[in-house]
Amino acid sequence: MLRYIGKKIGIFVIFMGLLSMFVFILARLAPGDPLLSFYGEGVERMSTEEHLAARQRLGLDETLPVQYIRWVDNAVHGDFGISYKYKQPASVILMALLGNTLLLGTVAYVSVFVLAVLLAVFCTLYEDTWVDRIICKMGTIVYYLPPFWLGLLLILLFSVNLHWLPSGGAYDTGRSNDLLNRLQHMILPLMVMVTSHLWYYTYMIRNKLLDEVRRDYVLLAKAKGMSGYSIVWHHCLRNVAPSITSIMAISITHILSGTYVVEAVFAYPGIGALSIESAKYHDYNLLMLVVLITGALVILSSLLAQTINECLDPRMRSEGDSIWQKMKTL
Amino acid sequence: MDNILELNHLSVSFHTAQGEVEAVRNVSLTLKKGEVLALVGESGCGKSVLCKSVMKLLPPNAFVKNGSIVAAGEDITQFSEERMRCLRGTRFSMVFQDPMLSLNPTIPIGKQIMEMICLHRKVGRQTARQQALQLLYLVGLEEPEQRFSLQPHYFSGGMRQRCVLAIALAAQPQMLFADEPTTALDVTMQAQIIDLLRDIQKKLQLSIVFISHDLGVVARIANRVAIMYAGKIVEIGTAEDIFYDPRHPYTWGLLRALPSFVPRGGRLHNIPGMPPSLLHPPQGDAFAVRNAYAMKIDYEKMPPFYKISDTHSAATWLLDARAPYIRRPELLHGESRESIG
Repeated sequence: MLRYIGKKIGIFVIFMGLLSMFVFILARLAPGDPLLSFYGEGVERMSTEEHLAARQRLGLDETLPVQYIRWVDNAVHGDFGISYKYKQPASVILMALLGNTLLLGTVAYVSVFVLAVLLAVFCTLYEDTWVDRIICKMGTIVYYLPPFWLGLLLILLFSVNLHWLPSGGAYDTGRSNDLLNRLQHMILPLMVMVTSHLWYYTYMIRNKLLDEVRRDYVLLAKAKGMSGYSIVWHHCLRNVAPSITSIMAISITHILSGTYVVEAVFAYPGIGALSIESAKYHDYNLLMLVVLITGALVILSSLLAQTINECLDPRMRSEGDSIWQKMKTL
Repeated sequence: MDNILELNHLSVSFHTAQGEVEAVRNVSLTLKKGEVLALVGESGCGKSVLCKSVMKLLPPNAFVKNGSIVAAGEDITQFSEERMRCLRGTRFSMVFQDPMLSLNPTIPIGKQIMEMICLHRKVGRQTARQQALQLLYLVGLEEPEQRFSLQPHYFSGGMRQRCVLAIALAAQPQMLFADEPTTALDVTMQAQIIDLLRDIQKKLQLSIVFISHDLGVVARIANRVAIMYAGKIVEIGTAEDIFYDPRHPYTWGLLRALPSFVPRGGRLHNIPGMPPSLLHPPQGDAFAVRNAYAMKIDYEKMPPFYKISDTHSAATWLLDARAPYIRRPELLHGESRESIG
């Protein structure tokens, strides 16, 4: 067990290292002047010496490897540098907005999958009826509706014309702890995210279930006298659970990137908006932190999915181990 | 109430893209209480379809074209899915061919048995568990307590088939359909499962419809035997009738194809040709083209059933009074005669 956890942690550390190196280099390769976001317009009036001195103060005069090693050294000690634009520690800026994104993302994620599983079970039971066909085609239709356009349409309908819901933001000023108020602001972004992601996952889970329904054990369950509904719910769903968790793990990235677009449309203060902004302004430290947090979420979620799969279906684990051992003996 | 199952002129067809496939054609048979009836025939002759149509487990494109199904005195031909659900498991239940596929791989076997018990009887979890354990003892699974919460992939094929049998018996059915329960097992396991099935049948006074394509297996267990060909029953009688006094040429062919009926060093007999397509079944006797004794009328008209004795009848024109006398080919050789029955 200890070895198992050690292996997973090892994978996590290696991936985070590679990711940070990659982003660090890529950000600095992009054309543009990071000083512009720190000093604003003032940069254009600087002399060459002042310019050099400014670069030196921000530590941008060193070679890339030196800069990177210094960044890693600081990061390991919990110092992620300051944001050039906000002139505050990057972690402080991030923490203020991370909660908003996580709240929106989690609620969207959970509602997408709860609805997807329910719809998939429904479609499986009513396979090839017109309801099933419509639900399956929805994915294709919605694919051609860009989420930002859908968002604007919803704002037009519910905010501008009907005045039912706020058009943007995460909460009304001064009411950041009012959960009801937050939920009210989340409804429209949620609608966009759920409608743009739901159908695709429904379709995938439905197809997995239909494969399963054709298995022999379903016939035996039927011969026991179980109803179609309870066979799908108690037998088949359990057997496709590993596939669903894999899909769910992969989709964390998908839905997270979805929040970035939605945040931009609804002016929702989250790290999606922050990451776009920090890339635009060459805010290296902030960008690194945002990317690393996102990356950590993705890697952790896939490790989590793997662990869940192995618990649900012990066959996966033994197979995985034997391949691992075979590779070692080679 | 002696007959636990009565099929009257039952025909079952499938709608397919090519047309209507007549899988079961005009089958009438009865199953008495405590009797083992074997359905024997080649692959695709409609044995499984016949059983599944009684339990209404066929895919949605199948339909009962004609005839009726009477189970325990009740005509269930037109029963709705809801009403069938109550009968499945209690009135009849089924053991499937491949125990590797018919158990849910992720649910412990104990739970799969308890599920059946809880579904049909109002008992608590503890009682259900006790009953499930008793069933596992009954089907001869060793150390059932330790194995109760193991998933099927820890078990061998024979052990799994015992578990499937335990599930089938969990709600005390009146009749059991065993759809080639030994085909997927190795030979030593086959004999064990057959003996087990026979013991349980005697103990519980169960009626069994036993599907097989192996007459050797059938000889160990069946009281009565029905030979099926191309969706029809061609000969039906007691085990003695079929093994010692077969009348249909197809039955002769099947018996001669048994390895144990051939003397050492002798050539194994086979029936030439293939069964006909049931998409457009032939007008006359479906077996005619493969039948060395076929007459002109075999190609033109379906033979009726000729009664040989109270228990034995066969559908072949050879039994007609006008037919020429055919000497039956030598089927049973010396020592193998004793091994039957």
